[in-house]
Amino acid sequence: MTSGVLDPGLSDKLRQLGAFDAERCMSCGICTAICPMGISTLPRRVMRLAALGLEDEVRAQREAIFSCLLCRACEVSCPAGVHIADNVRLLRSWLLRGEL
Amino acid sequence: MSGHQEGSGGPGRRLGVYVCRCGGNISDYVDVGRVVDAIKDDADVVVAREAMFTCSDATQQEIVQDIAEQRLDGLVVASCSPMLHKFTFREVARRGGLNPYEYTQANIREQCSWTHTDDREGATRKAVRLVRAAMARTRLSEPLEPLEVETTGAALVVGGGVAGMRAAIGLADLGIGVFLVEREAELGGWVRSFGEMFPNGTSGRELVERMREEIASRPAIKVFTEAELVAKSGTYGNYEVTVHVAREAVRLQVGQILVATGFDTYQPEVGELGYGIRGVVTLAELRRLLDGTEGPIRHEGRPVRSIAYIYCVGARDGQHPYCSRYCCTAAVHSSLLVSDRDPEVRQYHLYRDLRTYGKNELMFGESRRRGSAYLKFADDEPPEVRAEGERLRVKVRDMLTGGAELSLMADLVVLVTGAVARENDELIATLKLPLSRDGFFNEIHPKLRPVETVVDGVSICGACQSPKTVAESVASGLAAVAQAAAVLKAGTAQLDPQVAVVQPSSCTGCGACVGSCPFEAISISAVDGARVATIDPSACKGCGGCVPTCPEDAIDLRGYTDVQVRAMIDGLLEGASA
Repeated sequence: MTSGVLDPGLSDKLRQLGAFDAERCMSCGICTAICPMGISTLPRRVMRLAALGLEDEVRAQREAIFSCLLCRACEVSCPAGVHIADNVRLLRSWLLRGEL
Repeated sequence: MSGHQEGSGGPGRRLGVYVCRCGGNISDYVDVGRVVDAIKDDADVVVAREAMFTCSDATQQEIVQDIAEQRLDGLVVASCSPMLHKFTFREVARRGGLNPYEYTQANIREQCSWTHTDDREGATRKAVRLVRAAMARTRLSEPLEPLEVETTGAALVVGGGVAGMRAAIGLADLGIGVFLVEREAELGGWVRSFGEMFPNGTSGRELVERMREEIASRPAIKVFTEAELVAKSGTYGNYEVTVHVAREAVRLQVGQILVATGFDTYQPEVGELGYGIRGVVTLAELRRLLDGTEGPIRHEGRPVRSIAYIYCVGARDGQHPYCSRYCCTAAVHSSLLVSDRDPEVRQYHLYRDLRTYGKNELMFGESRRRGSAYLKFADDEPPEVRAEGERLRVKVRDMLTGGAELSLMADLVVLVTGAVARENDELIATLKLPLSRDGFFNEIHPKLRPVETVVDGVSICGACQSPKTVAESVASGLAAVAQAAAVLKAGTAQLDPQVAVVQPSSCTGCGACVGSCPFEAISISAVDGARVATIDPSACKGCGGCVPTCPEDAIDLRGYTDVQVRAMIDGLLEGASA
């Protein structure tokens, strides 16, 4: 079971890297239904974990985050206009920081 | 379709009987043709037809023509409930030159086809009986003229919040004198204390100030503050009300009464969601904090860096099962006011269901765009709030993250409380106002008659009826104005003539009927030295409650006389052999 303390610090860090906007998500789930990769945590849950600042949980989704094709099928269907693919790229660069 | 049938021509009556198929609603389960055949040769029947939709313009026109050409003097339509089309066909009768009260509707849809879908034969026979009963009543019908009463061209508005103030201005602009009664020392109600309000950023204080100026500039409006309505008497369109102003009784003559007494907000119990802990406040308290200060937000001297809103407090629970409508939007709007003043404040919204309906949805989107986080908790698992050092820890199981156990730190926890009905026992007793299950005042129909109550001459508007936004309150105030003005501007009102009448020669003045009247319409008075009961036709509602109490059978209900009712029973039984 997921648990944790909400930490706004993560979105601050992501915003330093670029225009992170996952807070706009209203959790409708259209993106997850549309994702051709069929990974259960993509993309809604990843967006939500990042927006809430659950750092450990986001790190645990590393594989899912790197499986994304950046095809933007989710993004064109998002009713809240979240830039999902850009957010995934920001998450990747945040995860890789210090490793490269 | 059966054509014109020359009936046997009874003692002078010429009836037209129309049996409706209701496009299958009736004819699928009732053999409409057989109903027509069964009654077409009955006494007095001049025209007997079936129709696909009797209420259609074409059939209405046919009936109008039949009345004129066949010189009909009685009309029977066997169709749906008279609740639906009584007035439609009374009007058809009138257009054909027939008195509207020479018309009877037999309900063969709700009472036959819809109830006996498993028994076509039985439904058809029952329909024949009901039509015969309606014909029996119509044979004995008399032309009646509506009772016309003059109305007093002034209105009483109870409650001087935005709904009541707007109603008073609206009535005055239509040339109607208004007495505006407010319990507090000042007009304005809740809105008087508000700063910026959704959706347009109007200031509540300024709005009330503007309305007060408008009221002051209209001599037709007489305002009583620190005043309460304590008594009402009189009949339709002419009431005498007593208002206590500073312990002095003022009597006023009015034709209509508008009630706009507003609402209260739910007050949480100490301990409910942490209420009582320093930093846990209601939405109303947050609004006072925001409206009373400027710059970065501080609460009791401490800077506020993080706010958690908990929605639906005292709303949609066992005690208050209804949704209070405005609170979601008010909370989201308040969070935008907070971020306007200090965009760095972290804001968390813990909700059960969120309804920022209509255009207000844009505020929900804007608050997310500015970084507000929304977490959804289950009905049976409210968040927990406890003090942790100088701050507050809020634990919540978030259904949007797969039921994750999350916690957050906040400087302020805002309980988004719903609206509750205001305690107004004296007013309720004085006006006999009906209450809804939720304790608010009840309208006759939420869509079709949204401001009228079952009490004649008394309308309701604003949040005393149900939780409303400012815009909705003002709109309903204007709806009540339209309703009241329609009566008052006409100068007269037409009342249903189907009322109880006393035959003075049979009445012994025993008074048995007096106590049976729920509308206090009957009194005993001396006429030519004899004590007799008199019924005020403008107070009588035609319920018939007094009729069976009379030991001398001296009371009859117009339109439903004893003779007519007996004939209807005979008509029902006659059908039994069909």
